[in-house]
Amino acid sequence: MKKRKTAGICTRRDFIKGAALGTLGMALYGKGRTEAAGGTGGAALFAAENPQSIVVLIRNEKAVGAADKVDAAVVQEMIDAALKEFSGEASTARAWAKYVRGDDTVGVKFSRCDWMRVHTDQAVIDAVVKRVGEAGVAKERIFAQDGGLPFAKCTALINVPPVKVHTLTGLAVAMKNYINFSPAPSKYHAPSTNLGEIFLLPEVKGKTRLIIVDLLRPYFGPGPQVNPLHRWNYHGIMVATDPVAVESVCLSICQAKRNLFKGEPWPITPPPDFIAAADKTFKLGTSDPAKIKLIKLGWDKDILV
Amino acid sequence: MAHSQSIDKAKILETFPLRQALPAAVSGWTGGREDQVFNRDDIFDYLDGGGEIYLAYDFQFVFVREYVRPDAPSIVVEIYQMSSSQDAFGVFTHDTDGEEMELGQGAIYGAGLLRFWKDTIFVRIMADRETPEAKSVIMEIGARIAAAIPGNGEVPGLIKALQVEGLRPKSRRYFHTLISLNAYLYLANANILNLSPETRAALAQYDREDSTARVILVEYPSAERAADAERRFTEMFLLERYEAGRKMPPKKIEDGHFAGLLRKGTYLIIVIEAGEKPVLDWLIKTISHNLEGGKP
Repeated sequence: MKKRKTAGICTRRDFIKGAALGTLGMALYGKGRTEAAGGTGGAALFAAENPQSIVVLIRNEKAVGAADKVDAAVVQEMIDAALKEFSGEASTARAWAKYVRGDDTVGVKFSRCDWMRVHTDQAVIDAVVKRVGEAGVAKERIFAQDGGLPFAKCTALINVPPVKVHTLTGLAVAMKNYINFSPAPSKYHAPSTNLGEIFLLPEVKGKTRLIIVDLLRPYFGPGPQVNPLHRWNYHGIMVATDPVAVESVCLSICQAKRNLFKGEPWPITPPPDFIAAADKTFKLGTSDPAKIKLIKLGWDKDILV
Repeated sequence: MAHSQSIDKAKILETFPLRQALPAAVSGWTGGREDQVFNRDDIFDYLDGGGEIYLAYDFQFVFVREYVRPDAPSIVVEIYQMSSSQDAFGVFTHDTDGEEMELGQGAIYGAGLLRFWKDTIFVRIMADRETPEAKSVIMEIGARIAAAIPGNGEVPGLIKALQVEGLRPKSRRYFHTLISLNAYLYLANANILNLSPETRAALAQYDREDSTARVILVEYPSAERAADAERRFTEMFLLERYEAGRKMPPKKIEDGHFAGLLRKGTYLIIVIEAGEKPVLDWLIKTISHNLEGGKP
């Protein structure tokens, strides 16, 4: 008689079967992983006709130039164009006005990691801060910070993370960007399943108005310390309001890049199970690619999703 | 692996021989920020969110020096003192992407990052961005450090046992705990192999007869602990009933690959992702033979 002796154990086999993390889990470990993770079949994902969440991805070949220099003007244009698309507004001002009011106190939460060097690019931070100011928020009520951001007194948060595969959490994008809002951030490292509960802290809950992801130069290697071979110029910016959908799309992009780099499946490990938990347990959004509509703008070479 | 006590940082800065071996200036690059030392107590001040990987080994301290030159990329030298050559080798195997080089007892370079190990030392030297001149300086500093380390250390015995036909050399990993295994290969959301600082573990990937396979080899402090891990893997991963003393036949799992295991005293040999059953059988048999033959 076959019998599983221990409840609550989730193994590699559960990912293969799709019982853990659904389609995305199968993309990491299942039979169809190459296709589902950005190979030839990748186009079928993130194409919901009646989406629960919309994610806008814009890319511009000129965003990152020689010696990896980021063009701030191009980045500003990309963010403006993506936000107009996401909001459905024709002008940049009207688009921002949908998410930020003049009487808001706004926290622009970015990620800065001196030793790893994969942090939110200054051009992205500056572009966001500029538009928040133009939306009528006084300079003294805009807090663009990583550590020490006074999120409790903010009425609105704009989540501005970079993208990296992470040794302890699997993936670090919008969810992990809030880790230092927790008084005990290390409890969300290995395992990171409950990372989503940070979004439900009383001082954080309901405040995130926008997520603007720096996908200019993501990191796909194992980390924690950077290996320059594992960084690539993707030239992208992503805009959304659903942090779980953002993680799902970024997971697919990073997994596809890893597979391309190795020439064979190279699953992200540990699997970022916090994505499924953020969906199913904490109800922060959807991780299901079938419920997400990804709108792609601009340069599409090597888009991987 | 018993964790070392934290070491007096001021004393290290004063006496660490490899610091004395570093040049004050090289090709116009000179010291930037003051030299720093981080130990087990404050590694997170240097690697916030990343220190766990080193703490998973018997890491003693890291010495850090920065070299700067106007209009050139800065270069950071990190010298990690481990308590054993096995752990220096283990940290070195954490990320093996890059081009192998002749330096120390094993070196890899790629895009402005040099890593090598020798005896109980692991070294990491990285430029902000790669230039031909920065690469040359990185190599020169690396060579000076390697020359200042007097002896060679032993490669972990488990790694020698995994040295069989079809091995992908750069797939070898050596570690102790779950946090390391999870960084290389995900088995489960629980510590089903009972890994701990007292266990020694190795991982490798093989290509054989148009098939691939991965091997996890673990040495436990006692046969009892090895048997318990055998039971846990059988029940939680293979989803089979465990009977002490009964050899578990390989099992075909959902993706069409085979998984199986063999316990041999304090050792546990696990094969997963085997494309063909004979490859799994052959790997278990050959590695088991190596363990008998005293390779480790």
